[in-house]
Amino acid sequence: MLQVLAASLFALGLTGVIIRRNVLVMLMCMELMLNGVNLSLVTFAHTMGSAVGAVLVFLIFVVATAEIAIAIPVVLLLVRRKRTLDIESYTDLKG
Amino acid sequence: MISDFLAYLDTLLLWTFAGCAFVSAALMLVLRQPMRVAMALVSCMVFLGGVYGLLGVHFIAAFQVLIYVGAVMVFMVYAIMLLDPRDEAASGGKYSKFFWPGLIGFALLAEALAVGYWNDLPHAPRGAAGEPFDITRFSAAFLSEYWLHFELTSVLLLAAVVAALAVIKENRRHDRG
Amino acid sequence: MGLLTLIVVLPLAGFLLNGLAGNRLGKGFVSAVGCGMPAIAFAVTVKCFLDLKAGGWSPIAETAYVWTMVGQDTFEVAFWFDRLTAVMALIVTGVGTLIHVYSIGYMHEDKSYARYFAYLNLFLVFMLLLVLGKSLLVLFVGWEGVGLASYLLIGFWFGDMEKAAAGKKAFIVNRIGDAGFLLGMFVIYSAIGTLDMPRINAAFAGASVPAVSASLVGILLFIGATGKSAQIPLYVWLPAAMAGPTPVSALIHAATMVTAGVYLVARMSGIYLHAPEASTLIATIGALTALMAATIAVAQDDIKKVLAYSTVSQLGFMFVALGVGAYGVAVFHVYTHAFFKACLFLGAGSVIHAMSGEQDIKKMGGLARKIPVTFATFAVATAAIAGIPPLSGFFSKDEILWFALASDRGGSWLLLAVMSFTALLTAFYMFRLLWLTFFGKPRMIKEVEHHIHESPPSMTVVLMVLALLSAVGGFLSIPHFLEPMVALPGVRPGMDAFHYWVVGGSIAIAAAGLAGAAWFFSGDASRAARVKESFSGLYRVLSNKYFVDEFYDRAINRPLLWVSDAVFLKLGDRMLLDGTLNGLASLAQRAAGRLSRVQSGSLHKYAFLVLVGMVASLVWMWRNG
Repeated sequence: MLQVLAASLFALGLTGVIIRRNVLVMLMCMELMLNGVNLSLVTFAHTMGSAVGAVLVFLIFVVATAEIAIAIPVVLLLVRRKRTLDIESYTDLKG
Repeated sequence: MISDFLAYLDTLLLWTFAGCAFVSAALMLVLRQPMRVAMALVSCMVFLGGVYGLLGVHFIAAFQVLIYVGAVMVFMVYAIMLLDPRDEAASGGKYSKFFWPGLIGFALLAEALAVGYWNDLPHAPRGAAGEPFDITRFSAAFLSEYWLHFELTSVLLLAAVVAALAVIKENRRHDRG
Repeated sequence: MGLLTLIVVLPLAGFLLNGLAGNRLGKGFVSAVGCGMPAIAFAVTVKCFLDLKAGGWSPIAETAYVWTMVGQDTFEVAFWFDRLTAVMALIVTGVGTLIHVYSIGYMHEDKSYARYFAYLNLFLVFMLLLVLGKSLLVLFVGWEGVGLASYLLIGFWFGDMEKAAAGKKAFIVNRIGDAGFLLGMFVIYSAIGTLDMPRINAAFAGASVPAVSASLVGILLFIGATGKSAQIPLYVWLPAAMAGPTPVSALIHAATMVTAGVYLVARMSGIYLHAPEASTLIATIGALTALMAATIAVAQDDIKKVLAYSTVSQLGFMFVALGVGAYGVAVFHVYTHAFFKACLFLGAGSVIHAMSGEQDIKKMGGLARKIPVTFATFAVATAAIAGIPPLSGFFSKDEILWFALASDRGGSWLLLAVMSFTALLTAFYMFRLLWLTFFGKPRMIKEVEHHIHESPPSMTVVLMVLALLSAVGGFLSIPHFLEPMVALPGVRPGMDAFHYWVVGGSIAIAAAGLAGAAWFFSGDASRAARVKESFSGLYRVLSNKYFVDEFYDRAINRPLLWVSDAVFLKLGDRMLLDGTLNGLASLAQRAAGRLSRVQSGSLHKYAFLVLVGMVASLVWMWRNG
């Protein structure tokens, strides 16, 4: 059941990335995806009794932190340039 | 009887926390204002922390709340507070052009996952089953088997610090110019 | 190095020396090397001839080196010296040396003196390869090489576009003939397995005749000969080749190169003895060519063009002799023709030299007194070609006429009639040339008249030697000399009685030609002018050479150019090749342009695609376990 929850959290996160327009909300949905994965790992660690799951979860914590630490400032700079939080207007890499 | 109730309480709490986490996550997709979305995410994470605790990995639960909620989400809230007044996303509506394709995709993904799980259903957790996976074992693992990964994370954090400094410089330059 | 190889190597050394260092070392050096090498080669040839005689006339063979081996077969560069080769080699080196000496005087003012002698020596190298070669392959190398040397020498003054074009014409027309030659070589090789000429002749004469039609081979080789020896239909290059220096015309287009075709057929007599259809074809084409060229020569006004058409006509005579099986007689005519035609061409060169470059005989006249040596030698050579006894031309032409009638391999009254008429025309137009050039009142402009002078000794001595040879050369009976090699054909039954009639007839023809020319063209040539008026249409056709060049241009050149332009250039090259290349490139470009639309810059789209991919892979994974 918890695996199902984990999978659905992941799916919701991905859908959120596709659906929502605000760049910050997209970031948060990506965090949701990571959480879904974490839950899945912890559940496996619990049912199989191995240490790998927990270790990996911890590492994901670290990575997520580092990622957010950089992603938010980047978004800030980007918003400062584009003057909007709407992802639809971030199309400079077109073609 | 108390032990039965306690065992039953475990499962009940587990289901409650799981359900609330799911609802919070679903709310994230629906709420308009980013601050509210952030709050929904925070609540989802806290509920997940509860689930971790019920599963017996207490230190992971602690880290979840400490790091994820305490650092990551705070930073996120801070950013929202910084940027919110300039929010022009309202001009285009809260949903993107890919709303319907996204929903259909979600349905398909959910169905694919469901079918996969149906054929290969994992066991339901039973409270704190098996050997308790406590912090002693956890630290020992990091210092013996996974010492490399540990060191690599420190490198990663260093890289993040450097990147943050670079951003600050960029900020300062922009402010001046 | 054997003597035969030495004969070939000497002019080669001359070519290299003059070609590479001639410009720096001055005219004296160039003349010494350029004439010395052929002279030494002539001496060596005489030595080989004496060796041959001492050895009882058995052929000398000599291998220079092995060229290549293909499977079991070896292709060598080998030389062969028998009676026929001896005659040809002596002519080539002997007359060649004389013409080289003449060139010293004629080309004295020319600024490309060294290049001229280098090319002339190069020509000798290839011609000697041709006549000395033991296999068809070596002969073919020489064949092609003389074509090359001819191109280089005809277009010697290549600054003038017309002269360069004449060189090109010669080379290209020759190549067309060479295609036939090559095909003949291929057929021979595949049927007999060797290109060695003595072995080929033996194979055809042997008990088991190879399973290939001798006539086919004969015709194919003859096609090559029509190109090189200027017969119908490939004779058109020879008149145009008069654009080159006159000694070149003398050497290449009178004495030696054009006789290569005759030599080829005579050498391959083993094939032609067993190829009646090919022989008939040769005789027919020879007769037609002789007649046609003679008629054209009657109406030409350029001194060199008359001689050029005369050469074509005389070659026709030689091919008639070959066609009726009288191979030795044809070679005899080659031998006498070399002398008197070279003398005529060199004499013409002397006249042109005296006239400061004028070549139109209508503007000459009365030169007999002014350039007596030239006149005397020219007259002797003219008499020789006309067939006046006892000069050399009489003997060789008489033999040809006799065998044209009496040979049991194709002689006939018709052939005799045609050749006799041609002989009459020959005498007529040659004496016309003599009269208009040397007799009568001077018709040139005063400027030119003042500058008329006799040529220097380097030129006149050569003329005298050649005139002497034209006079007495006929007494050396080549056909009998060659008879052990190539037997003379038998006489048709009942023809013996006519032998003296034919001899008498040919003398009468020569005399008639002389008389006719004298009557028409002496004095102020008014009678000739009146005839020309009354037959103006015929005259126009003849003087325009039957419009053959124009016909070739319309029928062959223009369609070829059209095909090259419309089909190969526009269709093939531009549309197909360039189109394919450019099309591929633009296809790549357009495809890339379309594909790049995938990158719309919209993150939502990318994330959506990730989701789609994920669903697809999950489904696939769970379906296929």
